[in-house]
Amino acid sequence: MFDPIMEQILAIARDAWAFMAGLLIVVALLGGLYFVLQGTAGMAFGGSRMTSMAIIGVVGLVIIVLFAFLFLPQIGELLKNFQPEAPF
Amino acid sequence: MTEASSLLLTFLREAWMALAGAFLAFALLAGIAQMLRVSSASVLGANLWVWESVSALLSIVVIGLFAFLGIPQIVNALQSSLPGGGGCGPISELGTLASGLIGGLAALRMLKAAFTSMLSASIGGASTFANALIECGEAIFGMILAGAALPLAAWFLGTC
Repeated sequence: MFDPIMEQILAIARDAWAFMAGLLIVVALLGGLYFVLQGTAGMAFGGSRMTSMAIIGVVGLVIIVLFAFLFLPQIGELLKNFQPEAPF
Repeated sequence: MTEASSLLLTFLREAWMALAGAFLAFALLAGIAQMLRVSSASVLGANLWVWESVSALLSIVVIGLFAFLGIPQIVNALQSSLPGGGGCGPISELGTLASGLIGGLAALRMLKAAFTSMLSASIGGASTFANALIECGEAIFGMILAGAALPLAAWFLGTC
C-alpha cells in the first residue's frame, strides 16, 4: 500500500542527494580556489603564515570532502543493516 | 476478529517499513546537508558553525541508532508484557486484537517521533530529541496503562 508513496519519496531523496553532492563539490572547488589564491598572494609578498594557513585550509577541505563522500555512504549502509522489521 | 486484526497489523507493518525507509533516506540527506555546511563554514572560517554542524551530524547518527536499535527492543519488551488473550470468548479475542494494535500504534508513534526529531536536527533547528524521548515515554506509559486496563476490563465484563 505504501510502496508507491515510498517510491516517490525515494526518487525525490535521490535527486536531492545528487543536488547536494554536486553543490558540495562546487563549494569545495570554490573554497579550494580561494585558498590557492590566498596561498599565491602570501607567497608573492612573503606572507609565510598566510601561505601555510592556505595550505592547511586546502588539506582540511580535501579531508572534509573525502569524509563526506566516504563516511556518509558507510553510515547509510550501517543504518540500512540495522533497519528493523516491524516489531509487532 | 482475527482477520480484522491481521489486516490492521499488516497495514501498520507496511507503514512501519515505509517510515523506516523514509527515515533512512532523510537521515542521509541530513548528513550530506550538514557536511555541506561544514565545508562552507570551514572555507569562511566560521568555527562555531563548523562545530554546530559536527554536533548536528553526531545527533543524527545517535537518533538513527536509537530509532533502529532502541525502539524495536522497547516495543518488544512492552508487547511481551501486555496481556494478550486472557479468559475466553469475545473478550479474549478483543484483548488479542487490542494488544496487537496498541503495540503497533505505539511503535509507529515512537518511530514518527524519532523521524520528526531527525528532521528538526537536519535543518539545524533546536534539538527535539528530548521531545522524541517524551513522546516515546508517553507511548510506553500508554502501553503500560493498556496492559493494566485489559485484564480489568476482562474481569469487569466477565470472563469464563
